[in-house]
Amino acid sequence: MIDLSKIDRTIAEKGSTKTALIPILQAIQREYNYLPEDALRRVSETTDINPAEIIGVASFYSQFRLAPVGEHIVRVCVGTACHVKGAGLVYDSLRRAFNLKEGQNTDQERKYTIEKVSCLGCCTLAPVVQIDQVTYGHVTSDKAADIIKDFESIKDKKGKNLFRKGDGTEIQGEIRIGLGSCCVASGSSDIKDAVEQTINQTGLHVKLKSVGCVGMCHQVPLVEIVPTKGEPTLYSKVKPEDIQQIVTSHFQPVGRFSRLKNKFWNAIENIQTDQQWKGIERYELNIREKQVSSFLGKQFPIATEHRGMINPLDIEEYKQHGGFLALKKVFSEFTPEQVIDKIKISGIRGRGGAGFPTGIKWELVARQESAIKYLICNGDEGDPGAFMDRMLLESYPYRVIEGMIIAAYAVNSSEGYFYIRAEYPLAVTRIREALAICRNNNLIGNNILGSGFNFNVQIYEGAGAFVCGEETALIQSIEGNRGFPHLRPPFPAVKGVFGLPTLVNNTETFAQISFIMRDTVDQFTRIGTEKSKGTKVFALAGKVARGGLIEVPMGMTIRQIVEEIGGGIANGRQFKAVQIGGPSGGCIPATLQDTPIDYESLTSLGAMMGSGGLIVLDDTDCMVDIARFFLSFTQDESCGKCTFCRVGTKRMLDIMDNLTSGKGQPGDLEKLETLAEWTGKGSLCGLGRTAPNPILSTLKYFREEYEAHLQGICPTGKCPELIKYSINDDCIGCTLCVQRCPVEAIPFLPHQKHVINTDLCIKCDACRQVCPVDAVVVK
Amino acid sequence: MIQIKINGENILVEDGTPLIKAAEAAGFKVPSLCYNDELGHFTSCMLCLVKDGENGRLFPSCSVPATEGMSIITDDQEIREARLTGLELLLSEHVGDCQAPCQVTCPAHMDIPQMNRLIAAGKFKEALRVVKKDIALPSVLGRICPAPCEGACHRGTVDSSVSICLLKRFVGDENDLHPFDALPLNGKKVAIIGAGPAGLAAAFYIQLNGYQTVLYDKELAPGGLLRTNIDPEVLPVAVLDRDISAILSTGVLFIGDTAIDKSLFQQISTQFDAVVIATGAIVDELRDWGFLTHAKGIDAERNSYETSMKGVFAIGNTLRFSRMSVRPIGQGKEVAWSVKQYLSGEEPRGEPRLFNSRFGRLFQDEISEYLKESVLSGKVISNDIISKGYTQEEAMLEAKRCLHCDCRDIENCKLRDLSGKYNANQRRYAGNVRKLMTKHFAHSIVYEPLKCIKCGICVRLTSKYQEKYGFSYIGRGFDVQIGVPFNETLEAGLAETAEKVAQACPTGALTVKD
Repeated sequence: MIDLSKIDRTIAEKGSTKTALIPILQAIQREYNYLPEDALRRVSETTDINPAEIIGVASFYSQFRLAPVGEHIVRVCVGTACHVKGAGLVYDSLRRAFNLKEGQNTDQERKYTIEKVSCLGCCTLAPVVQIDQVTYGHVTSDKAADIIKDFESIKDKKGKNLFRKGDGTEIQGEIRIGLGSCCVASGSSDIKDAVEQTINQTGLHVKLKSVGCVGMCHQVPLVEIVPTKGEPTLYSKVKPEDIQQIVTSHFQPVGRFSRLKNKFWNAIENIQTDQQWKGIERYELNIREKQVSSFLGKQFPIATEHRGMINPLDIEEYKQHGGFLALKKVFSEFTPEQVIDKIKISGIRGRGGAGFPTGIKWELVARQESAIKYLICNGDEGDPGAFMDRMLLESYPYRVIEGMIIAAYAVNSSEGYFYIRAEYPLAVTRIREALAICRNNNLIGNNILGSGFNFNVQIYEGAGAFVCGEETALIQSIEGNRGFPHLRPPFPAVKGVFGLPTLVNNTETFAQISFIMRDTVDQFTRIGTEKSKGTKVFALAGKVARGGLIEVPMGMTIRQIVEEIGGGIANGRQFKAVQIGGPSGGCIPATLQDTPIDYESLTSLGAMMGSGGLIVLDDTDCMVDIARFFLSFTQDESCGKCTFCRVGTKRMLDIMDNLTSGKGQPGDLEKLETLAEWTGKGSLCGLGRTAPNPILSTLKYFREEYEAHLQGICPTGKCPELIKYSINDDCIGCTLCVQRCPVEAIPFLPHQKHVINTDLCIKCDACRQVCPVDAVVVK
Repeated sequence: MIQIKINGENILVEDGTPLIKAAEAAGFKVPSLCYNDELGHFTSCMLCLVKDGENGRLFPSCSVPATEGMSIITDDQEIREARLTGLELLLSEHVGDCQAPCQVTCPAHMDIPQMNRLIAAGKFKEALRVVKKDIALPSVLGRICPAPCEGACHRGTVDSSVSICLLKRFVGDENDLHPFDALPLNGKKVAIIGAGPAGLAAAFYIQLNGYQTVLYDKELAPGGLLRTNIDPEVLPVAVLDRDISAILSTGVLFIGDTAIDKSLFQQISTQFDAVVIATGAIVDELRDWGFLTHAKGIDAERNSYETSMKGVFAIGNTLRFSRMSVRPIGQGKEVAWSVKQYLSGEEPRGEPRLFNSRFGRLFQDEISEYLKESVLSGKVISNDIISKGYTQEEAMLEAKRCLHCDCRDIENCKLRDLSGKYNANQRRYAGNVRKLMTKHFAHSIVYEPLKCIKCGICVRLTSKYQEKYGFSYIGRGFDVQIGVPFNETLEAGLAETAEKVAQACPTGALTVKD
């Protein structure tokens, strides 16, 4: 039964008008894991919100569930990076492990519910599976059972929090631990616990410091030891059991007693765990080494300035590194008009993807006569392979806030919103804390820093709809509606939230503002190309050796990014293409890798800057499958308002499904082109207008792969319905494949060559992964 | 007032008028399904796309207000293609029949479901009017038609098809004479050569239009092959005579025992304003008269039946041999349209062909939905039926088995109307999976969700009129549905606004029941 008084309390807290609807629903779901009908009826009875609005909204946003779920939620990331690394097979294998029938997502015992999520933002750990709060990275389809077993064994042991001693008078150095989502997902909080424990036990006088994302997400979790004297050392892929050895090899306990105690603890620890140190070198990664310095060295941090050095929430540290200097300068030296002029001169364009000149947008809002104007930081990053906004919000909250205050001052806005995806809980927490700290420091609120300027900011959590990255849909969402976009004009700058002028900028755009305003504008204009100034943050993932978050000057070539920053293609494979711009972008083939990255060059190649996802593909990737993947994403995220997007994307997907399953018909490619043309030309908003790009660009550069699929052949062997598994003569008869096969398609023949019964084979790939001699062949 | 340019014409409109309205006022009708005068624009159907005269970009004219100096184009090749594509996308997910499959399959396109409903209600005279709108010889066809309609009948998927042919026979036999008054004679004359089924039907419908019709035949009595080639056991002479006399009673002049040769034909064609050739298969002779022919018959335009001679039309076996008398009888009705168009100075186009949405066969899981409007009883059959036909009670019982497959909104559906206008092909973008149809009844209306085009008019109306529950969008994207929140019933959802939403619905998704 539902405790209605709880619902009433939630309403009393959130309000009873439509703008409170999404926050109310989020609170209800936090309580019950789904939205019970009785609770929703109570909301309609006790607020001004009618049942149609409640159901309309509750069924629009993918965060909300209208049916009860199991005790634990298993979320399989099917973002781009995970997809190219086999997330589909992982999803299928987990479904098999839970014995789920078609259309069923919760197992018989109601213990687990499985869901696909479009991106967990840990692309470098792909494929990723999350069970409740536990994240598993690099999952393969033969590990389903192991994961569940592991989760069962640890699920009740989580949640102990150790307290750290706070003496720190004699600091011997610093231990920095990454606390970006990738690091957290890879276990950095366990590392932090282990460091705290070590410090507590040994009495070392070292400072433990949490830092934001360094961008080196391919090496997580990262621990950096920074002694007061001497060079810092960076350890990558650290495990909790390594911590004590790492720490004690750098720092000596201060007193004699402590040193003894330390020895004692070491001995106890080793006896207890029976785990001897297996050579620290394998984790050590010196920052001065060539490989890493090239990952970081080619980059140019503006939005991510001082990465890995400052604690995201330490406002004093931000100030020591030049934080809020720009704001102070703006307040003391510039009129709003002068700020806008400087932004215009800087040439910065919106980093959300379309590249609209930021200064012109600000000017338009500034020109509006209105007592109230709104400002929105668009952090509704929904691209299934991008996590720039998340990282900026998590690691550089003050920089984003500073940019917002400057913008608010320039356009004379007094009310701001952080619109942040619900899938980014850490970002929400950080921003909430950062805003509270800013309020205490008179950086948010009335008469900011004595300037007479007032600006308030609140957080609005998005509820899971890619289309809400589109500014008119985002505004609908803030108003408590379904995220239906509308035609522009009127632009939000004229008629935005509640019909009032509204400035909407991307998170990354705001993160670059303080740099532009702090020193001279030409610091910024010197970087980049003629029409695309400054830097761009990309989420580099896929088949590259070193993925992560990178910030590079505009105009850098694809080749430089892939080879010099990404370290080339992993596993010695061949570079085939990059997918830039996610579902709105396109694939650029390796032959065009000397293309400099800026807004115009990408658009001219059929891709677009988009939000900045940059997925590297190798010769094992099927371009038809990639195109289908992105189309299925946009099709799923289409709001359904206009005909061309709602039905057009679906019909294109039907054709792509046929192509990838060997049911293509002559004329399908021409039909696909016609549909792509009209979906692009006829759709209401950017989502539909750009949805055909992945299809059109792959048709343009890889048409022969489409032709092959029409003939029932997948040249790279990726499309399950077009391939067959077999075992060649290299087979040593070890029976590992037999043991792994979930459908008994391989008869048990020890010491003999194995055979796959292709009638039974479900192409789960488990045999190929487990084979020690690579005798499983896919054709 | 401001000045804008539409299709090159300068037009004065009130500042801020939606462009779709401005264009309409200037005489340029722009199509739309989701625009509603009471609610304004919503930008969903996208059929109102027009072109910006400056940059050539397409945009929805419902959502853009007129501003000074604006220039738009409302119709050109690209715009038509855009609208056609939009329509075909909507049709690809529009699951429902416009006309019932029986009617579409009937060569004479008789409104069978309507006949069935009238029989079921005991309104036999009204039923005859429906039958005779398309079929001039119902008692005859009721005995000899091979009934392709019954092969298409959805009831066949349930148990066995409705006995349409016997019902038609019942309607014909039950009534006397013809149910229509002919229009007063207008002075023009039409000759029909050949009094077989095609010629008889043509004479009937042309006469009804107010033209004096003269029906020639080489035999003494009219009827053609119906009189000579059919076993009287199957088609008693009295039945044939009865149907024919109903036709002649409209004022048709029958001149029998007159074989037409080339010179007589030439004479007739100068004396009459139009001629219909319904002589049967006499290809060589017709070629001699001066017509263009092919191996199997005379050349005639597919829809208008006009031959190579202006004002001369050809129907029936003259075109090509058919075993089904219903085909020439249907052509007789259709040629009446062409003759009327020709004699009114228009280009003959034949009977207007309306667009028909079709979905194919019923799925097993849909049977129960369709039976909601029908009865469970099986086909009415007895030993007497073949010789005597149905009794009134039997006919009513059988007619009730009809499933009401035809759409209630058939006369008033904007989607159908536009699909016809733009010559849309429903199959072009057919999807891989067809969803399951359902039918819901409440108050005086019927709701068929798969006919919905998601225009949102009903959702906006129930909200505007403050329904307690109303309609809501449920879900999103391609799978979005319009439904009542909290799984409340349709009754509860549309407590106040049922008729209003049904009337505003641009398709047959929401319709008034009777």
